[in-house]
Amino acid sequence: MARFKSSAWGLAVAIALVALVLPLMLPSYALATECLIFAMAALGCNLLLGRLGLLSFGQAIFFGAGAYCVGILSLRFGTGIVAGLLAATAVSALLAVAIGWLATQRTGVYLIMLTLALSQMFFFLCYAAPDVTGGDNGLMNIPRPNLAFGGHELLSLASPFAFYVFVATICTVAFYLMARLIASPFGATLEAIRDNEDRAVAIGYDTRLYKVIAFVAAGAVTGLAGGLYALALKFVPLANVDLAMSERIIVMTILGGTNALFGSMLGSIAVVVLSYVLSDIWARWQIILGALLVAVALYLRGGLASLLDKAVARANEGARP
Amino acid sequence: MSVNLLLTQIVNGLGIGMIYFMIAIGLSIIFGIMHFINIAHGAFYLVGAYLCYALVSATGNFWLALALAPLAVGVVAWLAEPGVRRLYDLPASLQILATLGLALVIQEAVILIFDPLGKNVAAPAGLRGAAFFGSFVYPKYRLFVIVFTAAVAAVLWFLLERTRYGAVLRAGTESMQTVELLGIDISRIFSLTFAVGAALTALSGVLAAPIRGVEPFMGVEALSIAFVIVVIGGIGSFTGALAGGLLIGVVQSVMTTFWAAGANIMIYVAMALIILVRPHGLLGRA
Repeated sequence: MARFKSSAWGLAVAIALVALVLPLMLPSYALATECLIFAMAALGCNLLLGRLGLLSFGQAIFFGAGAYCVGILSLRFGTGIVAGLLAATAVSALLAVAIGWLATQRTGVYLIMLTLALSQMFFFLCYAAPDVTGGDNGLMNIPRPNLAFGGHELLSLASPFAFYVFVATICTVAFYLMARLIASPFGATLEAIRDNEDRAVAIGYDTRLYKVIAFVAAGAVTGLAGGLYALALKFVPLANVDLAMSERIIVMTILGGTNALFGSMLGSIAVVVLSYVLSDIWARWQIILGALLVAVALYLRGGLASLLDKAVARANEGARP
Repeated sequence: MSVNLLLTQIVNGLGIGMIYFMIAIGLSIIFGIMHFINIAHGAFYLVGAYLCYALVSATGNFWLALALAPLAVGVVAWLAEPGVRRLYDLPASLQILATLGLALVIQEAVILIFDPLGKNVAAPAGLRGAAFFGSFVYPKYRLFVIVFTAAVAAVLWFLLERTRYGAVLRAGTESMQTVELLGIDISRIFSLTFAVGAALTALSGVLAAPIRGVEPFMGVEALSIAFVIVVIGGIGSFTGALAGGLLIGVVQSVMTTFWAAGANIMIYVAMALIILVRPHGLLGRA
């Protein structure tokens, strides 16, 4: 996994390969699209938890805000797809400034509790404003605009395949940019803060500022994922801002592993595909998922990415004379 | 709003608040002592409520459920604690992952055994109907809940403030290491505390069942409220949890008549503000 960490290009290639293979393994483009979208949502959480050790129960705020943003813009104002997604990213990033600034006033359990409170607050705000969010019913019949530039239509995104390619491209770029971010001096500073915040402060870093910036990056990519999810479903349910959505993103992140960004892709695929396969076989499939989460917490602390790590290490050993 | 309606909502809030208090105190003490974030805590409440439903359906005897359900949950928790202990030393993220998983397993098992639909539980025969206080009319069962929980709270207060076990617990909230160095078997304390917290939460599930019925997702809702109360009252604080529970119960109950969603927004705003301004809670020790 060190390979992936050191090279953003390596990660981008790996993500592109996964995006290429995924539709071959799965029964529909819709399912593959969901895998990639949640990989991006988990990517934000991965940055906070893996690089900074901050566990946020508020990721559904960003995911939901991005989805509502795209939904409202394309439903009410007929905004184009690029402008809609950019707005979703920007709005979530702005929200992340506020959430990050508030949440990072505290550390440890209190930070977790703060993000939980803010997340619930946001949920009930969305619930209480049906004029904006559709309340309990959500926003329905959201159009998926075609990709256009300056009034010229470039690509129709109506087919599941075309939309999948669109999402896969964005997802690959998002992973690449995130890898660049954590490989930069900024990323190294985040790790220094995670490992010993007092020392980072003593050296002269404004650690709160770094944490807020990390929140903004995490919020932006999660909001973008939310915006894409609105276009994928053509529907924005209230469930997007539910506490269960934050939990889902956290589960994918930790299950995948936070030592490498690639873990988020693994965690997302595992949860999305597992839900799909198992829910067909057994209505109470979540018992299996729950048991799996307990097992991972006890026996596979590095998450699924650490399995890959071990496999790579073993292959390298085998290759040596 | 008439005075009687307001009074009814306030007294309703007291009853619900006492139930909240009993859920929160277990969570609070377990977190204070073991530093264990138990997302599966709501499952004790869920199981307590469903045991009540099952026992009342089978025997028609609510009092049997009131005695047996907390006992059963407490014993299971006591037996399970040495297994759960493996989670205490894990980082918060893995504790949350594991207990989220556990909560999911228990919730789905409840649906598997019963079904996903909500069910009503009848109040015990002697407590059906209403009591009259002049022009103020109030359901007898809810009155019983307030009196009964007040008695439980009194016993709990005595246990925590006036016994050796309580002294060890309070010291443990400060530093479990010191307690261990003093030669106290903390392993027994952990098991007992986990069991007492679980039993209290199951008891609140039993008491809540005739008021709100049972449904498989009631545990999640209870957990969220319990976190609010623990934060508002201060981790490990008995009076804090009591005051926090009553406050949230009354605010929620009175606000539902005006603006239900607003009540929930207010509650979480209060939670966030308290963490920001007074992280040790309104009544917690700094």
